Parts: sequence; structure tokens; C-alpha cells
Amino acid sequence: MITLKNVVKTYDDKTVLKDLSVDFPDGKTTVILGPSGSGKSTLLRSLDLLVRPESGTIDFGDISLDYSKPVSKKQSFDIRKKTSMVFQNWNLFPNLTVLQNVTTAPITVLKRPKKQTEQEARQYLAQVGLAEYADRYPSQLSGGQQQRVSICRAVAMNPEYVLLDEPTSALDPELETQVLLILEDLSKMGQSMILVTHNMEFARSVADKIIFVEDGDILFDGTPDEFFNHPTTRIKDFLSGITFNDTEK
Amino acid sequence: MWHIIITSLPEMISAMLQYTIPLAIISFIFGLILAVLTALIKFIQPSENKLVRYPWLVLRAIANFYVWLFRSTPLLVQLFIIFFGLPSAGIELAPFLAAVIGFSLNTGAYASETIRSALMSVPQDQWYAAYTLNFTTRQTLMKIVLPQAVRIALPPLSNSFIGLVKDTSLASSITILEMFQVSQQITAKNYQPLLMYSLAAFLYAVICTLLTFLQHYLERRTSRYVKGSEA
Ligand SMILES: Nc1ncnc2c1ncn2[C@@H]1O[C@H](COP(=O)(O)OP(=O)(O)OP(=O)(O)O)[C@@H](O)[C@H]1O
Ligand SMILES: [Mg+2]
Repeated sequence: MITLKNVVKTYDDKTVLKDLSVDFPDGKTTVILGPSGSGKSTLLRSLDLLVRPESGTIDFGDISLDYSKPVSKKQSFDIRKKTSMVFQNWNLFPNLTVLQNVTTAPITVLKRPKKQTEQEARQYLAQVGLAEYADRYPSQLSGGQQQRVSICRAVAMNPEYVLLDEPTSALDPELETQVLLILEDLSKMGQSMILVTHNMEFARSVADKIIFVEDGDILFDGTPDEFFNHPTTRIKDFLSGITFNDTEK
Repeated sequence: MWHIIITSLPEMISAMLQYTIPLAIISFIFGLILAVLTALIKFIQPSENKLVRYPWLVLRAIANFYVWLFRSTPLLVQLFIIFFGLPSAGIELAPFLAAVIGFSLNTGAYASETIRSALMSVPQDQWYAAYTLNFTTRQTLMKIVLPQAVRIALPPLSNSFIGLVKDTSLASSITILEMFQVSQQITAKNYQPLLMYSLAAFLYAVICTLLTFLQHYLERRTSRYVKGSEA
């Protein structure tokens, strides 16, 4: 379980996370929803310290950390070891082959044996239907394929949590589906995930828990059933806005 | 005319092989090392740890001063100061060594900016991706960022190298018998300035053309991963 308490993040004079407290359960998929600019990415990035909030605490298994205190290299290493990030634009390393993209971190960072790591990586790639792409470069793959590789790259680090920031927002619907199917599988396998998405249908089908963020505040924290079937007025507006349902606006 | 060319060519080629090419290659290697160090010192943000931070900021100030100094003064003046000036301060250098020092420092200053801009051109997201995978700064540089930066820096670095080959003619002014100096000496004997200087120009062009081929080869090698490049 990851528990955030009283997290505050300010950019210049704009408070992006306002004293936010939330937890992310183990083995579950937590979906973060909310309008653009509400602080979803900032929240997600605080979890693996890509963003450093000014105050608040994070409890993550055996690690407790106070954001307002200096973070040691070891603490940041340990936290990042428990998490892997999947980015909206996948951010694969263009100078490495698909296989190397998946294996370089386990081999260099975790000091895993090369042969075995490569074998495992090929299995991950096969699972996402990219076995025969192992020796190509990312630029030779479509966006959807690249995103699938980046999911393999994240999973190959054996993280406790996979963090995904709008993993399908840069993809057309067909490619999006390929990626969503893989994420659905991961979710079913009990992989702990925290996912930011604008795809409501997917959120509904995959989420065990939903968090709705607006203006750096958490307006909703509960089950998908509550969120979609018994929404508050604000959430209703949000959901109708996102489905282009003009009549309700 | 052919007779003159054939008789003077061996002397000029020998000067080229003995001075022009070694000067250029040795100075470029040292210049490149200096450039990478200088660029990294300016590029990498020091950690918050005070023990690292303050020495690093001092290094950075030195790097800035160095680049400023060598870009703000003419190469010829730099060579004169190193070879003719420093002996007054008790530092006497052999002409070849003085030339290597001058050319290296000058090339290093310019090339450091090339390398720094290549480093900056690698998207910040690459760093984020590497950091979330727990790469250290050093690992990120070695495995991810430098390989990408090299590709971008190659064309402007080739410019520097080709420029350096031609700039070695300035070494004649500090008593080095490089190719251009030799062509001057031969001209003094045979009174054929047009022919001799054209011949010198031709030989410089030959070296630079070969370097251009080398550049293309390296560009192909380092661009294997780029879309549209066949490899
Ligand atoms: N590096 C930064 N510097 C200044 N302001 C920032 C920075 N990053 C984010 N912000 C601001 O913080 C707010 C929240 O940003 P964030 O990226 O977390 O939103 P988001 O909910 O992920 O939005 P989106 O759905 O568009 O991705 C926005 O107003 C944004 O402009
Ligand atoms: Mg975002």
C-alpha cells in the first residue's frame, strides 16, 4: 500500500496539490481521473520523486519519507525500485533496440545476469505480440507498439507498482485498444497499478478504485460503481463533458 | 609546370605527413577531451550536497572563463602568446608542443559548445525515463544521452576538425615547417606563387575531402536507429 498524507506542491505561486491525502491499495488498479491541469500527473510523479512536493509524507511498504526533508540517494533509489513509470509519449530510448530498451535497466541497475534477463525480456515482448521486433529500433515501430515496449520495460524491473500517465492519449483508437488489452491483462494478474486516463470506458472496466482530482483537491475517492452509477453533480458534469453529450451541458 | 609540381610535391607531402596531419589529429583528440569535460561541467546540474556543489560551481566558473577566453581572442594571438610570450614567464615550449597546446585549447573551447548544445538537444523526457528506471546520472549519460548527442554533434564537430586542419597553417608563424610554410619556402626559390599556393590549397582540400568521407561514414554508423535511415 502507498499512503500519501498532506501533500502540497506549488509551482511558482500556484498550488497544484492542495494538502492531498490518499492511498493506493496493493494488487489493485487505482485510476486517477480529472480535468486537464488538475494535478494528476503531478500527483503520479510525486510517487516516484520525479516531482518533489514541498511537504507531506509518503509511506510505501517499509519506506517512509517526508517530502519536506532532504531525500537521500538510497531513499530515492528504493522508492523508484518499487515503481515503474509508463509515459504518455512512452519515452523509449531511441538509440537502443527494443530488446535493449527492456533489458538495459535490469542489467545495469539491478545487476541481473544478461542471458536470463534477455530471455525474460523476449517473453515479455512475446506476451505483447512483439517477439519479432526485439532487434529493431523504436523508430521502426508504431506508437502503439512503442507503448507496448515501454510497458515491457516497466514490468521488467519487477516493480511493486506500475504508474501510467495517460498511456494511450497519444494513440489512435485502434492502437489504443491494443495497449488497453495488455493493461487489462496486467490488472487481472493482480499487478498493482496507478493509472491516469481520460478513457472512461476503460476506467470503468479496469478500476478497483477511482480518484477524481480537481484543482489539486481530491473530490472523489471510492469505487467505480459509486463514481459512475451514483455520481455527484460535479462528476456528472465531468462525465458528460467528456462524452460530448451537449444536451446535458 | 608538371615538372615543378612533381619536384615540390614530395617536400610538401612530407611536411603534411610530418606536421600538418599530426598537429591536426593530436590537437583534435586533446581538444575533444577538453570539450567533453568542459561541456559536462557546464551541463550537469550539481547535486544539493554542498560538498559536491561548491567545488562544482568553481569548476563551472573555470570552464566558463576558459571558453570565453579562447573564443574571444584570435587563434594566431593565442599561438604567439604561448610560443613567444610564455618564455618571458619562464615557460619555454618546443614549437610543436606550443602549437598542440594552442590548437587543443582553441578547438576545445569551440567544440565544448557544440557538445553542450548536443547534450541539451536530447529531450528532458529521456532523463526522466532513465531516472524512473533508477539509472544514475552517469549511467544515463553513458548509455542514453551521449550516444544520442554524438549523432547530433558529428556534423558541427566535423566542421571544427576540418577548420583545424586548415588552421594548422598558422603554425608556420611559430616556426613550424608545416605544409604551407614549405610551400612558401619553395616559392621563394622558384618564383611560382600561383602554382605553389594552389598546390598547397589542393593538398588541404584533399585532406578535408577525406575527412568529409569519414564524417559521412560516422554519420551513417551513429544514425542507424533514426527513422528513414537504412541500416
Ligand atoms: N514544471 C511545471 N512548472 C510550472 N507549472 C507546472 C509544471 N508542471 C505542471 N504545472 C502546472 O501544474 C498544474 C497541474 O499540472 P499536471 O500536469 O499535474 O496536470 P494534469 O492533471 O496531469 O493535466 P493533463 O490532464 O492535461 O495531463 C497545471 O496547471 C500545470 O500548468
Ligand atoms: Mg498530465
